[in-house]
Amino acid sequence: MMRTFHRAYVALVYGFLLAPIVVVVLASLTRTDYVVFPPHGLTLKWYAAIAAHPEFLSSLALSLTVGLGTALLAGTLGTLAAIAIVRERVPGAGLWLALLTSPLVIPTVVLGIALLQWFTLLALPAGAVPLVLGHTILALPYVVRLVGAGLRGIDPDLDAAAAGLGATALERLRRVTLPLVVPSIVAGALFAFITSFDDLTVALFIVSTNVMTLPVRIYNYMQFNYDPLITSVSTVMILLSLILVIAVERVLGVGKTFGAGAVR
Amino acid sequence: MKRFAVALLVPAMIVLVGFFLAPLIALLSTSFHTYSPTQGVTAQWTVGNYLRFLSDPFYLDVLARTIRVAVETTLICAVMGYPLASYLRTTSGAWRNYLTLLLLSPLLVSMVIRAYGWVIILGHNPMIPLYTEGAIVVGLVHVSLAYMVLPILNSLEQIDPSVLLASASLGASPLETFVRVTLPLTFPGLLAGSVIVFSLSVSAFVTPSILGGTRVKLLATFIYDQIVSLLNWPYGAAIGFVLIGVSTALLLAFSRLLRRSHAEIVVG
Repeated sequence: MMRTFHRAYVALVYGFLLAPIVVVVLASLTRTDYVVFPPHGLTLKWYAAIAAHPEFLSSLALSLTVGLGTALLAGTLGTLAAIAIVRERVPGAGLWLALLTSPLVIPTVVLGIALLQWFTLLALPAGAVPLVLGHTILALPYVVRLVGAGLRGIDPDLDAAAAGLGATALERLRRVTLPLVVPSIVAGALFAFITSFDDLTVALFIVSTNVMTLPVRIYNYMQFNYDPLITSVSTVMILLSLILVIAVERVLGVGKTFGAGAVR
Repeated sequence: MKRFAVALLVPAMIVLVGFFLAPLIALLSTSFHTYSPTQGVTAQWTVGNYLRFLSDPFYLDVLARTIRVAVETTLICAVMGYPLASYLRTTSGAWRNYLTLLLLSPLLVSMVIRAYGWVIILGHNPMIPLYTEGAIVVGLVHVSLAYMVLPILNSLEQIDPSVLLASASLGASPLETFVRVTLPLTFPGLLAGSVIVFSLSVSAFVTPSILGGTRVKLLATFIYDQIVSLLNWPYGAAIGFVLIGVSTALLLAFSRLLRRSHAEIVVG
């Protein structure tokens, strides 16, 4: 009895978690010219309508480029820093780690305005480069934590054995440590991509009217338009994230690392 | 040897200093300058922006609302998430993995889209209408729940089952065992989850912006208006640093309080 009640409660909570996503996806199938749930009739015309809005496609291309750039930059910098802190025990490791994870405690809206002022000062025009830099700041803490956790799981004897066999520090890094933490690095890079791909707050400040990431484009469109185009574009975005995560999960099976690292 | 370690750290530090610390320090400096509608940020130093915020009941009201919304979100996440975590504790294997993945899956969807989903749902809902504090709390609970559930689950798993058996064999009812054994032992998880959820909610921008609209402003959306609509950079920057200061102070006080009450329950 108690058990059934508990299960019903859990089902309700999962319903709550999935509700807004399911509603957006289903609302994209409506025949009406306004957003309505449940949808009236079924049609894919709002997906065809995306083709008539090249600005959404160019925003999608920019978001993918920036996401990839962030995954590469944050993935590389974060991995190197995690190795320095966890494996090489750099002096003052605790302080460096605190510094690397400090972007987590700064509200993203403050980071956004700080970067807008800074890029204006540097006369750096809006584009992929400032976006990648801003998103790298957001993603770096997660990469450092995920790769750091992966490094802590490596048996230290392996490194000692390689050293005993005469391998230099660089050789040990390249041929022992790095291959062992590949799943954590991929998880970190994936997390960096998603952080970038989903970010609105920082991007909102450092985009221009011509250069706009997809979340900013969607956000601006929904301020003044009420047609279901938003829901079909959103569904495409949801599907892309889903495909990416499933692909990475299939290739490397990092789902568990990804899930646990996200909150620690 | 250590030079090698330092070299590994340098690239990350260059980006962190160049595009995080330096911009923040520049913004902090801006917040201590005066603003003139004709010239923008002037060269004159002042603490007036901070005084203006802290002395005006209107702005303090926005601050109070922001804290209230974050506290409500944290409490609801704790109450809603605890039974879910204790259910996940009883599952295992593939079913457990599947449920955990499902719990995390909303995090893969952009907050803009999730908030829009709530706009559609709440748009026809008379109980929690759109553009109210309630609507913002619903959206924030949705965004933060997983961050509360996972730390609680983590501390539930660290409880030695023999402790619960001992409690039962000493004659405690399941409710007594929960209140006097399980709950105190999961305080670290509750604390960790609350810290994450509170910090996420107090500084949230996307959810309050879409679900609060122009009617209900929280600090983050208010800062945005100051900067983007009014171009008052010094004042917007000052509110940003007030937000950082207040949320850090509250988090420190909160974690100290919880730790003390935890110690009292366990020891006393």
